[in-house]
Amino acid sequence: MAASLMAEKTDDRKPEAAPAAAGNVYECDAVSLELFPHGEPRLIIDRLSLNVRAGEFLTVVGSSGTGKSTLLRLLGGLVPASSGTIRFRGSIVSGAPSDVVVVFQDYSNALLQWRSVARNVALGIEGKLDRTEIEARVRQALQMVGLEKNASDHPWQLSGGMQQRVQIARALALKPQVMLMDEPFGALDAMTKATLQDEVLKVHGQTGTSFVFITHDIEEAVYLGDRAVVLAGPPGRVYKTVEIALPRPRDQIRTRQSPEFLHYRAEIHAAVLSAGGH
Amino acid sequence: MRRESFNLPGAVTFIAAIAIWELAVRSGAVSFDYLPAPSAIALAFVGIVRSGELFTATLHTLRSILIGWVLACLIGGVLGVVFGLSGFARRWFLASLEVLRPLPAIAFLPVALLLFNFSLTTELVVMVYASIWPMFINTMGGIANVASRLHDVSLTLKLTPLQSLAKVLLPAAGPAILVGARLCLGTTLVLAIIAEMIGNPHGLGYAVVSALLAIQPEQMFAYVLFIGVLAIALNACLLLVARRLLPVYGREAMSDV
Repeated sequence: MAASLMAEKTDDRKPEAAPAAAGNVYECDAVSLELFPHGEPRLIIDRLSLNVRAGEFLTVVGSSGTGKSTLLRLLGGLVPASSGTIRFRGSIVSGAPSDVVVVFQDYSNALLQWRSVARNVALGIEGKLDRTEIEARVRQALQMVGLEKNASDHPWQLSGGMQQRVQIARALALKPQVMLMDEPFGALDAMTKATLQDEVLKVHGQTGTSFVFITHDIEEAVYLGDRAVVLAGPPGRVYKTVEIALPRPRDQIRTRQSPEFLHYRAEIHAAVLSAGGH
Repeated sequence: MRRESFNLPGAVTFIAAIAIWELAVRSGAVSFDYLPAPSAIALAFVGIVRSGELFTATLHTLRSILIGWVLACLIGGVLGVVFGLSGFARRWFLASLEVLRPLPAIAFLPVALLLFNFSLTTELVVMVYASIWPMFINTMGGIANVASRLHDVSLTLKLTPLQSLAKVLLPAAGPAILVGARLCLGTTLVLAIIAEMIGNPHGLGYAVVSALLAIQPEQMFAYVLFIGVLAIALNACLLLVARRLLPVYGREAMSDV
């Protein structure tokens, strides 16, 4: 293990020239992440290789401890890889790449409680665009998530589902090429979750944005995804990738009842179980 | 937050206490040589208002409180932000600062007097030295305790470090910073009075000492009570401004410390 890590490290210093293979927004090659939580090294992600295709909806499932959220932090440039390379549109990720936005699970921490909904949505574009453009973008983003009537409310006045919509709108206002979503509906009730799943799919259909969507809910992974990646761990690594050939648009009742859906669900469930983790 | 229109029982107790004091002095039940009755203090108060002494002294003290408070908030606030953000600064310099902090500012007064003579500078040095700390400690704590999630948000929305500070970190630490500013104001007032008694012969502190030396207890009491009212008024002003400026979280931050 140690030897292979060293090899990756020297690899890292090679000049970066490889052009992006056509159609991939992200290319991860043998990415490892080692952290030192109590002074002792702990391998969180182990030589993980993964591509994200342009425009696809990629879901990532795995038991807890398989490094799902860490993978997302790596892609979002919130934490640097210890070894291996992550390329976004062909260039190596160092720091948060522009055109990529992360949506976090804990919406109440991620929103600025002292700002109105509209000013929360404007946070990422303030000072970058002129005023009329900002207003137009905010209005459009709020419309996409159905919150145009709540622009002047404050986050603490809204339900959990609405607060998560605000965070999604804030990401959309930047018109990103890739949305990285870290178990965004994990804290919501089943009905709200279903509604938001359909809204995210609608946004995906309308904008052509690529999505990387972390979840521990296998049905959610099948319902949303073009592809589902099953992680094993710890340390996190890709266990299996499943192409999900369900027709779009998807429907909460019809899609979930179709034999293909049940087949994919069983396949991924079996993979998650045999991948282990805690 | 209490929003009662008028606290009748509280007012009754207050008036009764004054009346008992008046009676006790007049009847000779208490026999301090120099304890004036409330009515005598009120007369003395009218006297210092008429002569303009109160106005001049108050103006001086208010001015130095304002200068001292703004300076202390600025210095303490900037230091607090730096130490709140930088683990490096905390590791290297916080221990030395913690040695300085418990040193009583009063003990520092003779040093300042020696260096800066009887002057406004002496007064300000002592005031600012003492009142930097509540602002510094609260701001540092407020900034350091901002949820790590908000740092992630700044990164993923590509805010520059300066934007992140102005739009995310400072507002998030706002309640703690306001508490610091409020404690800072209290310390500034106390130290202004003490510094005027010893280090700078102007203002309300000096007026109290002068009345004492001139054996005018009525006047002295009038000044002392006025200083109390001034402290209450300054605190109320700060609360009012904070509630106006920060309607969302000003309330909880400004509830009584």
